[in-house]
Amino acid sequence: MPYLGSEDVVKELKKALCNPHVQADRLRYRNVIQRVIRHMTQGLDMSGVFMEMVKASATVDIVQKKLVYLYMCTYAPLKPDLALLAINTLCKDCSDPNPMVRGLALRSMCSLRMPGVQEYIQQPILSGLRDKASYVRRVAVLGCAKMHNLHGDSEVDGALVNELYSLLRDQDPIVVVNCLRSLEEILKQEGGVVINKPIAHHLLNRMPKLDQWGQAEVLNFLLRYQPRSEEELFDILNLLDSFLKSSSPGVVMGATKLFLILAKKFPHVQTDVLVQVKGPLLAACSSESRELCFAALCHVRQILHSLPGHFSSHYKKFFCSYSEPHYIKLQKVEVLCELVNDENVQQVLEELRGYCTDVSADFAQAAIFAIGGIARTYTDQCVQILTELLGLRQEHITTVVVQTFRDLVWLCPQCTEAVCQALPGCEENIQDSEGKQALIWLLGVHGERIPNAPYVLEDFVENVKSETFPAVKMELLTALLRLFLSRPAECQDMLGRLLHYCIEEEKDMAVRDRGLFYYRLLLAGIDGVKQILCSPKSDPSLGLLEDQAERPVNSWASDFNTLVPVYGKARWATISKYQGPERRGPELPNAASFATSGPLIPEESKETVQELPDSGALMLVPNCQLTAEYFEKTWFSLKVAHQQVFPWRGAVHPDTLQMALQVVNIQTIAMSRAGAQPWKAYLSAQDDTGCLFLTELLLEPENSEMQISVKQNEPRTETLNSFISVLETVLGTIGDIKS
Amino acid sequence: MIGGLFIYNHKGEVLISRVYRDDIGRQAADSAVFNSSGPLLEERLRNAVDAFRVNVIHARQQVRSPVTNIARTSFFHVKRSNIWLAAVTKQNVNAAMVFEFLYKMCDVMAAYFGKISEENIKNNFVLIYELLDEILDFGYPQNSETGALKTFITQQGIKSQHQTKEEQSQITSQVTGQIGWRREGIKYRRNELFLDVLESVNLLMSPQGQVLSAHVSGRVVMKSYLSGMPECKFGMNDKIVIEKQGKGTADETSKSGKQSIAIDDCTFHQCVRLSKFDSERSISFIPPDGEFELMRYRTTKDIILPFRVIPLVREVGRTKLEVKVVIKSNFKPSLLAQKIEVRIPTPLNTSGVQVICMKGKAKYKASENAIVWKIKRMAGMKESQISAEIELLPTNDKKKWARPPISMNFEVPFAPSGLKVRYLKVFEPKLNYSDHDVIKWVRYIGRSGIYETRC
Repeated sequence: MPYLGSEDVVKELKKALCNPHVQADRLRYRNVIQRVIRHMTQGLDMSGVFMEMVKASATVDIVQKKLVYLYMCTYAPLKPDLALLAINTLCKDCSDPNPMVRGLALRSMCSLRMPGVQEYIQQPILSGLRDKASYVRRVAVLGCAKMHNLHGDSEVDGALVNELYSLLRDQDPIVVVNCLRSLEEILKQEGGVVINKPIAHHLLNRMPKLDQWGQAEVLNFLLRYQPRSEEELFDILNLLDSFLKSSSPGVVMGATKLFLILAKKFPHVQTDVLVQVKGPLLAACSSESRELCFAALCHVRQILHSLPGHFSSHYKKFFCSYSEPHYIKLQKVEVLCELVNDENVQQVLEELRGYCTDVSADFAQAAIFAIGGIARTYTDQCVQILTELLGLRQEHITTVVVQTFRDLVWLCPQCTEAVCQALPGCEENIQDSEGKQALIWLLGVHGERIPNAPYVLEDFVENVKSETFPAVKMELLTALLRLFLSRPAECQDMLGRLLHYCIEEEKDMAVRDRGLFYYRLLLAGIDGVKQILCSPKSDPSLGLLEDQAERPVNSWASDFNTLVPVYGKARWATISKYQGPERRGPELPNAASFATSGPLIPEESKETVQELPDSGALMLVPNCQLTAEYFEKTWFSLKVAHQQVFPWRGAVHPDTLQMALQVVNIQTIAMSRAGAQPWKAYLSAQDDTGCLFLTELLLEPENSEMQISVKQNEPRTETLNSFISVLETVLGTIGDIKS
Repeated sequence: MIGGLFIYNHKGEVLISRVYRDDIGRQAADSAVFNSSGPLLEERLRNAVDAFRVNVIHARQQVRSPVTNIARTSFFHVKRSNIWLAAVTKQNVNAAMVFEFLYKMCDVMAAYFGKISEENIKNNFVLIYELLDEILDFGYPQNSETGALKTFITQQGIKSQHQTKEEQSQITSQVTGQIGWRREGIKYRRNELFLDVLESVNLLMSPQGQVLSAHVSGRVVMKSYLSGMPECKFGMNDKIVIEKQGKGTADETSKSGKQSIAIDDCTFHQCVRLSKFDSERSISFIPPDGEFELMRYRTTKDIILPFRVIPLVREVGRTKLEVKVVIKSNFKPSLLAQKIEVRIPTPLNTSGVQVICMKGKAKYKASENAIVWKIKRMAGMKESQISAEIELLPTNDKKKWARPPISMNFEVPFAPSGLKVRYLKVFEPKLNYSDHDVIKWVRYIGRSGIYETRC
């Protein structure tokens, strides 16, 4: 922030610095120099007094020297010719009897960022490496890295590198660690410092002598070492065991990562390690150092992805307290959402319900989305809580609850009934675009079960002129048309009005085009409309199931204790890829991110359309429930229409499969338990023309193939092919996840 | 590695800035406005620094993360009163380590000039630059032990411009010695040590008086003024140790078995020999000179909750609230708790409050939306009560009042975890002073951490 009058200040300071009286009085001289530095920090251009400052460096006063060197490091690139004058003094100081002065001079000289300085610093650095004071050696070792950085073009000085490698055996622990750091930077092009067996063992033996920063750094470098034998590996792990209990969370995390990586091939060791660090991690999560607590929580979430039950018994540790900062609360809610199990679900939900009425709307909404997340497994309890929340009649709560409902009926169709009963009355408390869209979508898709659906939509149609969000109008068009198909009598009139408005008066092009499109579609005949609007919906759960699947520890071990868990994987990828404009504020993955269903064809469904090119002709009817007896009778009366094998590895997870099949309207009649051998399943489906598809899945234990047999009550090949391709897609997706 | 360190005041003005690496704030350079030699460091720096001010310090919403990414540069910030400390880096670093470093930095600064406030920082900025120079080099943490740093830092006592020969040789010897945290040849006329057991007790209680979660996080801080290289051995009533010894003498178990405590996890200062702790559970060490944190621990079982808060809130119609809060002290009657403060939140639409309390002073603070009840001292096994009538303005806001919890602050002269120091023995084989000659002081302070009762 350069402010006016900086020239005056510079002039005045210059005068003071030249004043012999000031120079004679050590304290006054130092005071003036301090003022220069203070102005420099505030962003004032102080390069005008460079000459005077160089003169001031010739002093015995160490404080003054330090200040002047700080100044020079900042302005040297601006005044390279003048800075050369200072080099003389610096070189002289490099051979001062006081090691502190030697170190200071060497450090400052290496920090001068200007062209041509290399030739002057080479000699002092080399002699610094052999200095008897470790303080100077530390500085000299890092000086090598600085010098290399100045060179720019990476010509590596072999002799220097050898010298540094030999200094790894130095007595002083900080010199050792600095050597590693320095070598790493110098050899960056060649993949960094080489950790071979002798070096690794040497470092391991020195570990207890290092300070926490050194330990963390060495643990990081040891990641690179590949033990030759299993025996050696376990020896190393034993040596490092005590670091899992270090007082420094950073060292604990570093050690954990090293264990996870070294024990790549020993899952039980990995699990053991994670059990061991549970205590330290929990301690960090409840520590008073909030930022550390945040970092720990991010890592807890990472671990939970692989071991969902890991922290379940400690769920109370993740209850939020009122005075905690916002970012910790949000993380804790995420953690709670992930560690929920049969035993603690009641308490966790109780707790989350409390957060829903928090003063901070942001936090309240996060809590509601969390309940929505838990609802995928514990649907009934969660839907009940969410329904109760609607009773509070508060805008910011209602809108989020409705959005959660929309996602929920999509993922867990079994809760549709309960949701439909909860919806009436919500419309009074929704003002924002997202919430309105969700409500309208629900009314459109499940309107036949909500008695007053047409009247609610009618209100929206009445007020469409004053509606500000085009997205809401689009949603309204689609919803009303859908409802018109199931309840024509109540909707015909208002559909007409809405279409008229959209086509004649609406100014937003997208809405108008959508209106025109539907109008023409209706002209083409009601059957066509039905076929397009009510064709099978996208199967959202497949992508989400993949997300829920447990990830092996090895998939994130290399990201542990880096910024990846803090930012989230996706965001880190964009940061590190150097592309696109940066986004501000960290993105917390919340449930809302998948809650974007496009008005007509959701993006996800486009994919399905591509995957199933000829499924347009096939439309499976939802809710075709056959009794087991009827199925059996039909099964034996028909011949196999199609038989094929499908590659399959590992066991089948019946629940996942059943859920996935339900999404594409294939019902499960019977299914063996998980792990049963041979494993069998019987499925049924019916298309809109009444054609029945009966399927048997058979998995023989020794084959790595699933046998699929399909029977059909009407011999029609093209629908049969479509059906099989749908089935294959589902099986393929589930199979991929599990393999 | 850390690219730079900044200290801001609450207005977002930079008080201290120190850049260690070239790469930060280079987004200006990427836009190719500058020539090949690159823009002046100052220039780039200011871009980064300003970005942080706009995005974090002046942000409208609550801070969503202590790690912020601006222009592919990560800003790690820590706030102390109204001072922001930010470490900046472009690398994929260990978040925990960076935060630990910032804490360490705060500790070191506090050791030199006390509280971290804008005034103190402005007055000591030369010292801070010196510290930053020594603690970090090229962005890598170097020596950060306050005791060891003292030799290198010239500020505070301007006398040191002519270093004595002795001191010079100390610099050399100190770091070549086996023990990085203690220099040799320390002498005191009086050998003295102070042990402080500092605990903070955290509680979350349901309105029905059920403990939702409670834990104590404690620290044992030692101040040692001992000559030479003393070997210390520290003993406490750790359950595992007591049980082990109990096997030998059944007598002792009956005496101390009840009082032993279960420690959930504990960590030690670098100086403690962990191998010995793991094998025999004994804590032995050569202490650094001066003040340091010997151990840090956490317990969750059998916590003595010094106070119970019993809230009673009754809504009388739409415009009146009746609040009654009883606090009960739950410790030995001979002990005195101090600095007791109970904070009872009130709704936003409060128009007036009438308070009656038996003890201490209570005041309604409209700016904080709370009734603050302060009691200077309170003995154990006592009870005190406050009742308040809160008048509300009628509002058409349908939002129900969320009833934030009642929070409490206090200080008690015992350790709520039940931890007791059993002994601290000092052996110095070379100099001739024995354990008996050392003057030892032990003090227990229990403070409230987050101590909340929902109502």
